[in-house]
Amino acid sequence: MLRFAAVFVAALVFAAPASAACSHPRTSLDYLQGQVMCPTCHTTLAMSDSQAAQQIKGFIAKRIAACWTAQQIETALVANYGQGILAAPSHKGFDLLAWWLPIVGVLAGALVLAFGVWRWSRRKEPEEPDEPTDSGLDEETERRLDDLLARFD
Amino acid sequence: MTHRVKTAAQVIALAGVAGLLALLVWSVVHQQHAPGVGSMAPAFTLRRLDGPGTISLASYRGKPVVLNFWASWCEPCKSEAAVLERDWATYRHHGVVFLGVDYHDLNSDARRFVSAHALTFPMLQDGSGSVTGRYGISQVPETYVLNRQGRVVAHLRGPITDPGFAGQFQTAISKARA
Repeated sequence: MLRFAAVFVAALVFAAPASAACSHPRTSLDYLQGQVMCPTCHTTLAMSDSQAAQQIKGFIAKRIAACWTAQQIETALVANYGQGILAAPSHKGFDLLAWWLPIVGVLAGALVLAFGVWRWSRRKEPEEPDEPTDSGLDEETERRLDDLLARFD
Repeated sequence: MTHRVKTAAQVIALAGVAGLLALLVWSVVHQQHAPGVGSMAPAFTLRRLDGPGTISLASYRGKPVVLNFWASWCEPCKSEAAVLERDWATYRHHGVVFLGVDYHDLNSDARRFVSAHALTFPMLQDGSGSVTGRYGISQVPETYVLNRQGRVVAHLRGPITDPGFAGQFQTAISKARA
């Protein structure tokens, strides 16, 4: 019990100044590991354990401890490694294509699908008969049948 | 009208397939390979790691060049660094230029590495890996030896301290100086 209390107090003593020093919510290593690429293995940091990835993870951890925002850390990494270090392309210039092309593709696909369905449904519609179907009776019999039925009206 | 729409759809689909095929051919043609022995070393201009300004490979035309690709996170680069510095001290008086290219590395860590190993030959930074890509670097350290015309004399994949390269490195420098 005493040991637990000592650990609890120590955690409070060491953790409090660190969190108090940040004026904004602290970003996490887990989040940035999914946003940053390993330059030598071309996967995200989260999926890599290479030496280059370890170095970048260390860099990020230190910056998080120093209260850097995710944006500041990403900017520093881009200045060092170039835009390719980020998993997602930027939202400007030619990189915008990477964001818009999939949307355009999905919309175009939906249009083609809708057009196809519309055409298919039109082809399947049953045709309205232009004339009443033939009863197969001759004119005389039909006339007599009409007279008989007229009696019940 | 329906026939026209059908034809247009077919043309668009065909154009899409042709575009994808062209992209595939382009990527195959532009695939980056390590320059072979006898071929010209790809030209480059890179920022200095050890000071302001840039250095271009072309400015050393007429001199043999040892081009060493390294990174601070690379373990074998540590043992190789001392040997490179020793060889640089020997060959610089014979007009041989040594250039270090720092590959996919944090500049701050790279500068610490240079300082810790007391490296005095010019160091360049290739954080994005654009130059290292053109040299087909897949692991570090790797070393190219170029002759006075800028042609590749040798490409050593691994540390020059590797027992297999012991003679090759010196022989390549002799060839490059000839």
